[in-house]
Amino acid sequence: MHEMSLALEIGRIAEERAGDAVGQVVTVGVEVGDGAGVEPENLAFCLEAVLATPPFRRARPVLERRAGDGLRLLYLEVDDERPDD
Amino acid sequence: MSVRTIEVRERVMASNDELAARVRARLRAAGVPAFNLVSSPGAGKTLLLERTLEDLGRELRIAVVTGDVQTQNDADRLARHTDRLVQAVVTNGACHLDARQITTALDAVDLPATDLLFIENVGNLVCPASWDLGEDAKVVLFSVTEGEDKPAKYPKMFREARYVVMTKLDLLPHVGFSIEEAVAIATEVNPRLQFLFTSATEPEGLEEWYGFLRNQVRRRSAA
Repeated sequence: MHEMSLALEIGRIAEERAGDAVGQVVTVGVEVGDGAGVEPENLAFCLEAVLATPPFRRARPVLERRAGDGLRLLYLEVDDERPDD
Repeated sequence: MSVRTIEVRERVMASNDELAARVRARLRAAGVPAFNLVSSPGAGKTLLLERTLEDLGRELRIAVVTGDVQTQNDADRLARHTDRLVQAVVTNGACHLDARQITTALDAVDLPATDLLFIENVGNLVCPASWDLGEDAKVVLFSVTEGEDKPAKYPKMFREARYVVMTKLDLLPHVGFSIEEAVAIATEVNPRLQFLFTSATEPEGLEEWYGFLRNQVRRRSAA
């Protein structure tokens, strides 16, 4: 149920880190620990909604399941060659 | 297509946890122990606090922040038992309180004139487990009208908590609930849990809880 709050926070961090390139972010990599208290499919669903909303243009979430209780934004992939669709 | 990667490696809860650390520092500086009460809806958080304010309110200066998805009903109920301000946070759909809301709520609390702070979280055994609010400890209320296996079903909450307050013990004869089994299951999830046993509808039913609270306040003011 709290996955939407987490997705919004992931979006906020991604926006901050990508800076001017936020519209060119194509992948948002997220580590989801088995003990993080997060339902991965639910989080993916919420992230798809957040990442389809400006300033994002075509970013997709990639969730990596891991042991432990970590929940981290791991990386962003940015495609600079296609500034606008 | 050339794709570059920006390494981030940032904990999603980092900004909440930073705010929580500041709340914790404020409370420590003021010598105020703080407990984050969590449970499923209907386990008795508000009634426990009503009785606590009524019975200890003259002895200890108690501040309360309540969180609800909608309505200020809990804050209104509690306000009838104390002269102090009860801070209501309406989350408008969110299933938990976060450290930002507590930061704001505490601005209205006279901390130097407070001995003890309760945060009554949104009734929910899942989401509030993930948010540090700057409390000393999470306290899970676990009522005997629930299943003994609640801790196994909601392990993160019982792992995050330090205390379990068993509630509604007056109903034990009617519900066929095994305290031993519940304690065993909870202890398997988190061996460090401490248990307190209560009944808010019986005159002496909260003595153990009150003793615990007095101890916490005494220990903090001696520190």
